[in-house]
Amino acid sequence: MKAVDAPAERNRRPRRRALRRGRRSLGLRTRILATFGLGSLVLSTFLALSTFNFTRSNLVDERESTAISKVYRDATRLQSDLTSNPTKVQAAIERLGAERPLLYFRGTWTGDDARFSSSAIPASMLAVVLDERRPSVMRTEVDGELVILIGVPLTDVDGAYFEFPTIDDIRSTLHSVGLAMILAAAITTLVGIVLGAIAASRAVRPLVAASQAAQAIAGGRLDTRLVETNDPDLAALTTSFNAMASALEQRVERDARFTSDVSHELRSPLQTLKASVEVMQARRDELPERTQAALDLMVADVARFQGLVEDLLEISRLDAGAVKLMVEELLVGEFVRQAVGISSAAETPVNVARSAADVIINGDRRRLARVIANLIDNGRSYGGGEMEVTVFDPDEKDGEPITQIWITVEDRGPGVDPNERERIFERFARGGVAGRRSGSEGAGLGLALVDEHIRLHGGRVWVDDRPDGLDGARFVIELPAERSR
Amino acid sequence: MHREFIRLFSNGCNERSEGSSRPTTPAIGQDEGVGTRILAVEDDGRIRAAVKLALEDEGWIVDEAASGEEAVVIFLREPADVVLIDIMLPGIDGFELCRTIRRSSDVPIVIVTARADTHDVVAGLEAGADDYLTKPFAPKELSARIRALLRRARPAHPAHPKLVFGDLEVTPDEGKVVRGGTEIHLTKTEFRLLCELAQSPGKVFSREQLLDHVWGYGYFGDGRLVDVHVRRLRTKVELDPANPRHVVTVRGLGYRLQA
Repeated sequence: MKAVDAPAERNRRPRRRALRRGRRSLGLRTRILATFGLGSLVLSTFLALSTFNFTRSNLVDERESTAISKVYRDATRLQSDLTSNPTKVQAAIERLGAERPLLYFRGTWTGDDARFSSSAIPASMLAVVLDERRPSVMRTEVDGELVILIGVPLTDVDGAYFEFPTIDDIRSTLHSVGLAMILAAAITTLVGIVLGAIAASRAVRPLVAASQAAQAIAGGRLDTRLVETNDPDLAALTTSFNAMASALEQRVERDARFTSDVSHELRSPLQTLKASVEVMQARRDELPERTQAALDLMVADVARFQGLVEDLLEISRLDAGAVKLMVEELLVGEFVRQAVGISSAAETPVNVARSAADVIINGDRRRLARVIANLIDNGRSYGGGEMEVTVFDPDEKDGEPITQIWITVEDRGPGVDPNERERIFERFARGGVAGRRSGSEGAGLGLALVDEHIRLHGGRVWVDDRPDGLDGARFVIELPAERSR
Repeated sequence: MHREFIRLFSNGCNERSEGSSRPTTPAIGQDEGVGTRILAVEDDGRIRAAVKLALEDEGWIVDEAASGEEAVVIFLREPADVVLIDIMLPGIDGFELCRTIRRSSDVPIVIVTARADTHDVVAGLEAGADDYLTKPFAPKELSARIRALLRRARPAHPAHPKLVFGDLEVTPDEGKVVRGGTEIHLTKTEFRLLCELAQSPGKVFSREQLLDHVWGYGYFGDGRLVDVHVRRLRTKVELDPANPRHVVTVRGLGYRLQA
């Protein structure tokens, strides 16, 4: 025989107080991971972009200022050459040795490259340099090549000088820098995600420990505690969790003690009643008729009172998780026969199918006998008439090991209304059929106890119609089968 | 205070056992119910009175004790044939009272507990009780238990005058057990259990069979009765009770006796 702890908590209560309710949110782990990932992505992108922009403007600005000062130098020299010798335009330009020069002098354009002619200069710039006679700089693309276009008016000789120094090489440099930056951003983001994963698992670890501890407590190991920690953030959780566990443990212990105290208190007067009633019963024949009737009522209700006290105590112990099943191997057919034999309708026929004859279940002998006795009491007081108990394998297949066994109790009463079929297993179920059903015997706890005990045994119980179509209810107990003998 | 009672009680018994031999032989030939004394130890006066009335209807002579201390005094003055003890007693509790009585007497003891599934049952049986009832019990049921206990005091089957298992010798007729030349003192129930096993040496007895044959219980008897009594028996008949050689457990089936 071994003792099995009942689940400390019943999971059927419909309403639960939750600390937070509302929208379904991502898990903590995912959120930490996302925060790290997104954070490092944004940060590295920002850094990469600003680095890129900084590099680009630095490079371009430097090239631009060099080019501008060179163009100014060239323009000054050209202006002095043209002032002294206005006819030798081509020679003056060649003497400059400049890259892609373009001169506007006395209404004609002179250059050394057809691509970089006046048509390559935007009209707005021409207007500024030629008409307003102000110098101008712009970056533009000529024939697919990125250039700095610089125009300087030659005020002394009524002309203008333009140059097209290329910055196309900067473009490829910037391209490389950009690639490097993207790569750096990607690596940073990845590192961020990895760090996020590490941080997340570290952050969740105490929660996992707490959750395992909570599960252990729910499973009945009430002395489970979290390990004390020095971490000030976690210390609050640990302390309050352990305080909760201690409070719970004390409360369960107090409840169990209360139950045993109540048990003793109620049993003592019952003991006196039972012994006294027995003394009177032994002299029943000596009593007047009316006293006999009164005695019979008393005998019946002392028995009912005892049943009620026992049911109440059993159910409060179930609630406190204090019920220990004394599990042993039972030959199910023999067991059911014996259980029916000590019930209030011992003559009820028991059919054990051949498939179930050698099946062994694991169960608490006395509690399961009580379950069957309760179902028989229930059928007797409500269903009435001939009852029948059947034990069989619900999905009988040749060669396959049996996994579950059904024990059914059928009566010949009016049956149970489909709307009431769940409710009759509730405690003190009232109204309708359930009220009548539980009114005459017990206190409406019988079927609730059946349900609780069968669930403790890993099975289930329900009521439906008789499968043969006759009037009446069929209560079905389904229990896991251990093995076949 | 109650410690003194216990000491006084044990001393008294030791002196007595020096004078005459200890009551090793089960009471044989006593008629059931006639002149049989039951000592009922119960602190609740009304329960005591009601149970006494009901038991007297069954033909027993009932002595009452309201506490363990009082029970010790009464038992000293006039040893009962059966003792009924409520576990929850003020002063020395039922377990202590069981042990105290067991130190000097093999009188059948029935304990009354609040519930069958608590540790009380095993603790009471280990303290030396022969059987238990849960409160509230029917006095008729108690009478049946007492009759079964007294029946147990008789020799099992006088067909075998002497049974020998290695260093163990059992003489059912005389209610005598000798191990290695030394007589061992067993309670009536332990002796009956040993005789039951000794009847068919090597045969495996299930808990149900032993409950039926020794205690007179049906299918719904408590297997712990057998387990605890086997444990108690082993501490007396085995050289090393942790590694029993005579009273052997057969896993999942029951117990058997071997040489």
